Amino acid sequence: MAKPVIRKPKKKSNPLKAAKITYVDYKDTALLRKFISDRGKIRARRVTGVSVQEQRQIAIAIKNAREMALLPYTSNTR
Amino acid sequence: MRRYEVMVILDPDLEERTVAPSLDQYLNLVRQDGGSVESVDVWGRRRMAYEIQKKTEGIYAVIELDAEPATVKELDRQLTLNESVMRTKVIRPEIR
Repeated sequence: MAKPVIRKPKKKSNPLKAAKITYVDYKDTALLRKFISDRGKIRARRVTGVSVQEQRQIAIAIKNAREMALLPYTSNTR
Repeated sequence: MRRYEVMVILDPDLEERTVAPSLDQYLNLVRQDGGSVESVDVWGRRRMAYEIQKKTEGIYAVIELDAEPATVKELDRQLTLNESVMRTKVIRPEIR
């Protein structure tokens, strides 16, 4: 019987730690753009590789930025 | 007394030079109520991610101030009454 392949999860580098950011500011669109997809959707945590707490801060910041038209709600690339 | 950050999007048809003085008029309200205005940062004309009121651009301004909650609420109300203010946002920076 074939053994189920156990994949070692690849450790992702935390992009916030790399940039030495402790407070996620909704005005920092250059940073927040790293956490949204081409279509403007918020990237999942398993993609971004940040902690639960950080992901929540990022999500709130993105939503605030969207309200002020700094980031798009949707972008129709297709 | 609490720290607040107020972001305002103004009508792009305004003269950019007149933005700071006209914002200052509203900020007198804060000063009268015992608050203090830390900084007024006018970003200038900026392209918005989507149209607001059929306009593709807006003049952004960020104001940092210390004030009582009621004062900020009144400031926000006064700002939204102004026709040339397209959008406002009040945020408490330290809590998230």
